[in-house]
Amino acid sequence: MNFKKLSIKTLTLLVGASLAFGSLGGLSPAQALTINCKDAKDDGNGCTVVKFAYFGDILNPTLIVEYRKLHPEIKIEEQKATELDALQTRLVTECSSGGVGNADVAAIEVQYTGYWKTKSQCFVDLRTMKTTVGKKSATDIKKDYLDWRWAQGVAHDNKVIGIPTDVGGLEVAYRWDMFKIVGMPYKRDEVSKSWNTWDKFISVGKEYAKRIALPKYKSAFTKAKTSPKGFMDNVGSIYAAYLNQGTAKYYKKDGAKGATIYKTNTAIRKAFDLTLKADANGIGTRIGQFSSDWRAGMLNGTFAVILSPAWMLEYIRTLAPDTSGKWDIATIPGGGGNQGGSQLTIPAGAQHKQEAWDFITWYLAPDQQLKMFTDKTFGGIFPSTKALYTNKKLTGEADEFFNGAYVGKIYADGIKNLKPIYEGIKDRCIDQEFGNALSLVINKKQKDAGKAFTGAISAIDRKCR
Amino acid sequence: MTQPAVSAKRKAPSPWKQPKPLKKQNNPNAVLSLNGKWGYLFIAPFFVMFLIFGLAPIIYSVYIAFFNWDPLGTQDFIGLENFQILMEDPDFWLAMSNTFEIWLLSTIPMLLMSIGLATVLHRQFLKGSTFWRTILLVPNITSVLAVAIVFGQLFGRDFGMINVVIGAFGFPHVDFIEESFPSHIAIATMIIWRWTGYNALIFLAAMLAIPGELYESASLDGASKFKQFFYVTLPGLRNTITFVLVVGTIGGLQVFAEPLTLGSSFSGGDAGQFKTLTLYLYDRAFIGSQWGYAAAIGIMITVVVIIVSIINFFLTKRISSDTK
Amino acid sequence: MTTLVKPNKKPRWQKVGIGSYFVLVMFTVLSIFPFYWMFIVASNASDAVSKIPPTLIPGDRFFTVISNVYEAAPTFNQSLLNTVYVGTVVAVAQVFFSAIAGFAFAKLNFKGQRYLVLFVIGTMMLPSQLGIIPLFILVGKIGLLNQLGALIVPALVTAFGVFWMRQIIDAQIPNELLEAASIDGAGVFRVYWSIVLPIIAQSSFVLGLFSFLATWNDYLWPLLVLRDPDNLTAQVAVNQLKSHYAIDYSLNMGGAFLSTVPLLILFVLVGRRLVRGVMDGAVKG
Repeated sequence: MNFKKLSIKTLTLLVGASLAFGSLGGLSPAQALTINCKDAKDDGNGCTVVKFAYFGDILNPTLIVEYRKLHPEIKIEEQKATELDALQTRLVTECSSGGVGNADVAAIEVQYTGYWKTKSQCFVDLRTMKTTVGKKSATDIKKDYLDWRWAQGVAHDNKVIGIPTDVGGLEVAYRWDMFKIVGMPYKRDEVSKSWNTWDKFISVGKEYAKRIALPKYKSAFTKAKTSPKGFMDNVGSIYAAYLNQGTAKYYKKDGAKGATIYKTNTAIRKAFDLTLKADANGIGTRIGQFSSDWRAGMLNGTFAVILSPAWMLEYIRTLAPDTSGKWDIATIPGGGGNQGGSQLTIPAGAQHKQEAWDFITWYLAPDQQLKMFTDKTFGGIFPSTKALYTNKKLTGEADEFFNGAYVGKIYADGIKNLKPIYEGIKDRCIDQEFGNALSLVINKKQKDAGKAFTGAISAIDRKCR
Repeated sequence: MTQPAVSAKRKAPSPWKQPKPLKKQNNPNAVLSLNGKWGYLFIAPFFVMFLIFGLAPIIYSVYIAFFNWDPLGTQDFIGLENFQILMEDPDFWLAMSNTFEIWLLSTIPMLLMSIGLATVLHRQFLKGSTFWRTILLVPNITSVLAVAIVFGQLFGRDFGMINVVIGAFGFPHVDFIEESFPSHIAIATMIIWRWTGYNALIFLAAMLAIPGELYESASLDGASKFKQFFYVTLPGLRNTITFVLVVGTIGGLQVFAEPLTLGSSFSGGDAGQFKTLTLYLYDRAFIGSQWGYAAAIGIMITVVVIIVSIINFFLTKRISSDTK
Repeated sequence: MTTLVKPNKKPRWQKVGIGSYFVLVMFTVLSIFPFYWMFIVASNASDAVSKIPPTLIPGDRFFTVISNVYEAAPTFNQSLLNTVYVGTVVAVAQVFFSAIAGFAFAKLNFKGQRYLVLFVIGTMMLPSQLGIIPLFILVGKIGLLNQLGALIVPALVTAFGVFWMRQIIDAQIPNELLEAASIDGAGVFRVYWSIVLPIIAQSSFVLGLFSFLATWNDYLWPLLVLRDPDNLTAQVAVNQLKSHYAIDYSLNMGGAFLSTVPLLILFVLVGRRLVRGVMDGAVKG
């Protein structure tokens, strides 16, 4: 090339181009265009493997494919844990050995964020990270997210350890066709009104359970290929729903680790008793969520009501595709609620912190979160980015599977009034003990609810210390 | 080797008892012309590796049993407090009773069935004996996980095969997953399924080692089939029974993978029906992040195993010597 | 003239009756049924399992289910291969180290031996879960976490193997043989190499088989130390299939089936030796 003949402009173009390609791990332009890191096992040959540890449905395959198109030199390696506790165990053991084996991106769920907030040393402080393009740190993107969801990723020493993924929200998915058969109100608004308090919810349930046993509806049920046995899948879900509608759970803010209030918070006993009241009125079918019977229950109309966070809708879609159009969404008693939600973190021992941060900021940006919601084949995940709550694509879309309900709007309205609840270090442990106590009474292994409750308290004293 | 002096109390040495080795020699069976010092070299790899990867972790665990040890948080020395809390811990005692119930439900039937099977296989004119013997081992080679997946499904409350059969006889379905006693039956069944054949082979080998003359002389004395079994076969199996029991105890008291898979969680199910001792250890360690407490549980498990093994050992020695 | 033993002089109880065969057939059916069931569930649609009466014949969806397994776990085959690799290395190492230690305990005389033997036996009573966390930390510190080496290095020796080889060598090698060799001037190594090893070859092979099986079926420890999808072993890969929406029985069973078939094939090839091995090891017990 005759450099003398080149103009400044061309030179700048060339330099810019080689810098851009140079950022692709030192590949030549030709290489960068043909690279395929999809099957890369390790770093090398221009590929960087970014490990993503998660559970459940946090990882959206469509977005992963999209990211690969944008960054062919990056491979996102999926490391899916079989369930939440398995992921938690992994993170704890890894952090305890100094971060050996850490993934580059790790999801932590809200039931454990209380724990991780006291262990910020296990994570990278995301305020110190800057995206390759735009130099954005956590502080810069904070404004995009719902306040109380953002707060769930901030450690007690103010380090930002995680960026919010979705918002669970909580509404009620119900089989409107079954309601119609038994002659009860089945239209969305009517149903929402009929159970705007929990006591009314229980009454509706009781009525439904009564009616499905009547012989006059039998042929209609058979015709609809359903065999109903109860109103809702599991009354246990009422406990968490009610408790999360309040303002405090098991801990209160006090110093670095918070102080326990599970012995004094009356809301806990109220949630407990409410759940048992629902059970005493026979409105649940005692089928465990996520069990194989649960799936069969959805398909056969064994139960007609599931308390559903937004991500639950996706489970219904995937597990019972044949019931499309037969479900609808009504608002939850109490006006709104929340269940679940995670933060994406960069564990301290991550090998590729920069690539991890670039990925996280892209993956959880408003644009992508909208895609996660609208992508119904693997979506319906409700975003945590505030701006979207007034976006027509979110609120204006009618969902065919759910009888044309405006799912986005219903959930957006539901989370508006939620207040943050202080998360404590052993939240999940305490949750499980109260859950066990409820199961004992519901499964008739302990007749005295009071005893079960105090039994839970002493178990908590012992196991969640 | 000279016979040791027989004390007046003891009976004449039976053909089953090995003469007691002389105390002075380290190894009564050794070939003395070989240089024993090489022994140290030969056992060195085992001991070195074991010390590093076997013993050191255990010593460390024992150490932290005296602490309240949060791996990522505080680690306070609390002396015997873990053990004190453990003694009053209803979950620990539940784990203990669950483990023992499962152990009893599995060991006794399995022992009886293994010996019974071995007796059948011991028949001289059995056709296809190689085939039958090989089949015995098939359950043993599968993974516990695969077995638990299959049996978990077979024991399902609504659609499991076993309940279908129960229902066909007109009885109500049994909840083998949620109810405590049935869940132990389910686990015991898996254990029995896995080990009966294996132990039957061991008993068969031991039976084959019983000299045929003993049976012939017994039958010449007019002993019936049953009497021959009790007075010739069983005493001959005494050592083997002890062996199988002790090994079975050590394994059985540590049953872990089956309850974990059937109960689908480390907590052992809603009513803790699947909570066994080792599962509880895991639960406290990995779910509760209470490593010190978990280590204390581990120590208690070891103590229990040792005690039960010793009891087993003496019990079987007594029982079979009573049948003489 | 040899005395002929007339058949009808044999005591009655030695004739094999129908009852015996019935017991054996029942036992065979019960042993094999779970495998058959695994195949049935893996070859039918997921909800075929939730039916009364249950399907008893294999369905036609086997290959669909298998391809579902590979879709859910693209590295499943790699996991199986990894397990073969780990299993073989561990088997060879365990046999090697157990044989020499077993030989020393059986045939050599050195001070403190009895206590060391008791020590080995005593260690078999310790629950393996007791040291699992410190072992995890240790493995992490030597950089083996996430590597197949984490399965290999801690498993190179086994107390059970040492004990078993001691029994075998004790039973199979007459002292006179070794005495004769040593009188002829052979040193310990020579004796071990030329005389002992060939005799215990069969039993060593069996020990190796059991080690291989144990490694193949090992579940908890690999679950704890392995994460990369390329670096899993058989049971972890099967376990990973649980991370589906809800329990999908045909998927799980498909995975369980795939991870069991290699063992069944191996068993068809060497099952008889395993049987012999179990029985040999039992004689002294």
